[in-house]
Amino acid sequence: MTENVNSDLRAMQKEHGPLLEVSHLAIDFTTDTGKAVHAVRDSSFSVYPGQWVAIVGESGSGKSTSAMAVLGLLPGTGHVVGGSIKLDGKEIAGAKQSEFDKLRGTKMGLVPQDPMSNLNPVWRIGTQVKEALKANNMDVAHEKRSSLAKALAAGEAAVQLKGNDDETFLGSKELPELMDAAKKALNAAGVTGEAFDKAVAGFESEWVPGSETRWRVADDLIKAGVASEQAWSIAKKYVLGATMDDRIAGLLSEAGLPDAATRARQYPHEFSGGMRQRALIAIGLACRPDLLIADEPTSALDVTVQKRILDHLRMLTDNLGTAVLFITHDLGLAAERAQHIVVMYKGQVVESGPSLEVLQHPQHPYTKRLVAAAPSLASQRLISAHERGENVDALLEHKVAGEAALDKSEHIITVDHLVREFKLPRKKEMFKAVDDVSFSVKRGTTLAIVGESGSGKSTVANMVLHLLQPTSGKVFYEGRDTSTFNAKDLLNFRRHVQPVFQNPYGSLDPMYSIYRSIEEPLRIHKIGDNKSREKRVRELLDMVEMPQSVMGRYPNELSGGQRQRIAIARAMALDPDVIVCDEAVSALDVLVQDQVLRLLNDLQAEKGLSYLFITHDLAVVRQIADEVVVMQHGRLVEHATTDEVFNNPKMQYTRDLLDAIPGGKLQLGLD
Amino acid sequence: MGKYLLRRILQMIPVVLGTTFLVYALVFFLPGDPVKAMFGDKPINEAVAAQIRAEYHLDQPFIIQYFIYLKNALTLDFGNTFAGQPVIDEITRAFPVTIKLGLMAFVFEAIFGVVFGIISGLKKGKWYDTVILIVSLLLISVPTFVTGFVLQYLLGIKWSILPVTAGSDPTFLDLLMPAMVLGSVSMAYIIRLTRAEISSNIAEDYVRTARAKGMGNGQVMLRHVLRNSLIPVVTYLGQDIGALMGGAMITEQIFNIHGIGFLTYQSILKGEANLVVSIVTLLMLVFVVCNLIVDMLYAALDPRIRYA
Repeated sequence: MTENVNSDLRAMQKEHGPLLEVSHLAIDFTTDTGKAVHAVRDSSFSVYPGQWVAIVGESGSGKSTSAMAVLGLLPGTGHVVGGSIKLDGKEIAGAKQSEFDKLRGTKMGLVPQDPMSNLNPVWRIGTQVKEALKANNMDVAHEKRSSLAKALAAGEAAVQLKGNDDETFLGSKELPELMDAAKKALNAAGVTGEAFDKAVAGFESEWVPGSETRWRVADDLIKAGVASEQAWSIAKKYVLGATMDDRIAGLLSEAGLPDAATRARQYPHEFSGGMRQRALIAIGLACRPDLLIADEPTSALDVTVQKRILDHLRMLTDNLGTAVLFITHDLGLAAERAQHIVVMYKGQVVESGPSLEVLQHPQHPYTKRLVAAAPSLASQRLISAHERGENVDALLEHKVAGEAALDKSEHIITVDHLVREFKLPRKKEMFKAVDDVSFSVKRGTTLAIVGESGSGKSTVANMVLHLLQPTSGKVFYEGRDTSTFNAKDLLNFRRHVQPVFQNPYGSLDPMYSIYRSIEEPLRIHKIGDNKSREKRVRELLDMVEMPQSVMGRYPNELSGGQRQRIAIARAMALDPDVIVCDEAVSALDVLVQDQVLRLLNDLQAEKGLSYLFITHDLAVVRQIADEVVVMQHGRLVEHATTDEVFNNPKMQYTRDLLDAIPGGKLQLGLD
Repeated sequence: MGKYLLRRILQMIPVVLGTTFLVYALVFFLPGDPVKAMFGDKPINEAVAAQIRAEYHLDQPFIIQYFIYLKNALTLDFGNTFAGQPVIDEITRAFPVTIKLGLMAFVFEAIFGVVFGIISGLKKGKWYDTVILIVSLLLISVPTFVTGFVLQYLLGIKWSILPVTAGSDPTFLDLLMPAMVLGSVSMAYIIRLTRAEISSNIAEDYVRTARAKGMGNGQVMLRHVLRNSLIPVVTYLGQDIGALMGGAMITEQIFNIHGIGFLTYQSILKGEANLVVSIVTLLMLVFVVCNLIVDMLYAALDPRIRYA
């Protein structure tokens, strides 16, 4: 977008007034006992046409609830009890569902949070896109473009848009003939050699049936050197409108799905999470809404996928002139993507303003905490309470030297040429999940394994934990090969090497009280009597900063962050040497994540623990790790100290991962 | 798919062998001597008894008898009853009646079960939801013969709407009440299953996504709530066909319907091993085939399930 267009946009926004204006909104949920729970109180914000506005807050802050109220899709007993929601100046708070039906799809679209559960598993992807088009009686033969988008396009295109006919879509039937005609026209215009090939390649990638319009085809031809009149006559002759199937494929392909016509016939379970999210974006934008509500659209995805999808969404909404209400818990992500930030805390808007302004000069204490906690904005390793002010490297050297004197091996865990293969169903060849990976964890330090999902990092963790047998290669603990361990050695090994898993909801037995969960390892290893075990559990709870009163409670009564603390307390119960954290903080909100990371770091300083830290999030790595191993497709692609990886990445893949950190390049001007 | 089907059909062979063996053994070791029973009050003529025993191979050891039965069954000769009737004739006479009854019960439970289940699931907490729930609980907890007697008394005797019992050649109207009784328990289960499925599916994220597309309530319900909710209901219904055939025994006794259940009961009393084993094998085949169809149907209804 040029500067010129940008100022046009701002002028239009000003003239138009806010697209969405929420003022003094209040939302209640009614409990079973009839008591009202105030989910949102007195919150106000507005979204101008074509603008990205982010609502930031932790889970339970009312950010999603506010957005759902705008769509008229409050769950369960939720209802708007006060304030107003104006869409295009029209009051919609308290409107009937049938009135909302008319607004949803065409005026407002939704890209939901969890791509896994938001597509109906029994319908084909294409069918689910079609439903959106059908429900709003969309004209699939012509593009619908907002006045804003038209104005923006006019600034870029070399052609003058006349009427609706120019918005006719290209159909798949006419594509081959159009391509032939275009080639002939190029020849006639004297375009040859490299220029010709380049132009044709451009047409092939640009001319997507059901997405490319007549005026764009003409525009492309003119730009390639075909005379204006001839270009228009070709476009008019061969761009005659798309069928429903073309339009579906066009939408999916706009959302970044390759080979969309085939993909449209597949079912959701045949798609990866990222692909499903693209399909959901296609659905959300299918009817060209003025406002798109994106409710944590990428929280369930890997950072690299997140970046690609958000980049794409940005490009699409810019082209269409769609305003986006972007909901996220990551302030860094919000600041990077949105022009305006609204911070919500406990159901109220505590701060709002232009993104950089909020980030650089946070006013409210909660915003200040968010800024401090955002992993994407942190620039260095956490320093524990004991070490604050000291040089980490010097400290490490000191520690290593101290231990050498104790005549123990410097490397507590060594992984040597580890390979793990899996048998795939209906396939003969084995799938190499981990391919020749070697590294070692120094005593008292943290080594992070980074990679996207499917890179084999969790498989490595499971082999280190001796929960999975390697196909070949060895794991050494304290210099001893773990594969030679007998039952007694193994019990001892399990005592000293403890895991903390990703999902704090799944890794605690829901039928066990918190006390029983933490006490269980002590009982298994027959340590102490009932009384001393209880004392130990109390100590552990203190250690993870949880009140002792939680002992009698059950996991479902605790929040995600609290459960993860319990999981850490359980791992600490046996005074281990090594803790393997498999995505231990990935499922947590930023503030909670920050607390857990600090806790882990302080424990490391106190007890001299070593961590093997598995994560897909490089931002977290910077805060906790001393060394980083980067994995891709089961292979180790880079191994260096954290500072080296961040300051001087050697592999392109590592650079991609670094680029994907949201807000990584924001200049904060903080001290 | 073809491979899967073949494997499933081959799996039937051990099932058939096992069932026939078990049932044959059960009837064989039943207390009482069927041949002696044939003489009734008259003194037993040992010569005639020995002749009958030889004719039906009853003088042979159990295992030999079983193999003789199997060998004949392979040539579709299922032997004769003690009265001299071919077993196959008895079955072909009784089976159509049971099929008719079973199908009527099936249609009854499918229609009313699903309809009441949907009403109940969509309007959870309304008074009629409560009524439907209580009635379904009642039908599940009260034994079929009690339901049968109550209906016989109310519909048959007190109000005289429907015939109280059916004869040997029952009409549609004769079988209406028995079919309702036979299908009542399954109907109650289907109501509860449909209700539970609908109320859990309605809270699914994809239903919200559908609403966000701008789809009207009717379309959302039809395409996203009902379509998904009916998958387990259809599979339950399919498996129930087999169960209805077997469950007809009590219903046919109550209403004096001369179907398969009635025949089985009579032949167990008389110790007619050939007849009992043949009927049970037939019922078992119906059951296994129904199961296979259900599994195929399941794959057709739910794209996530593929057989290889």
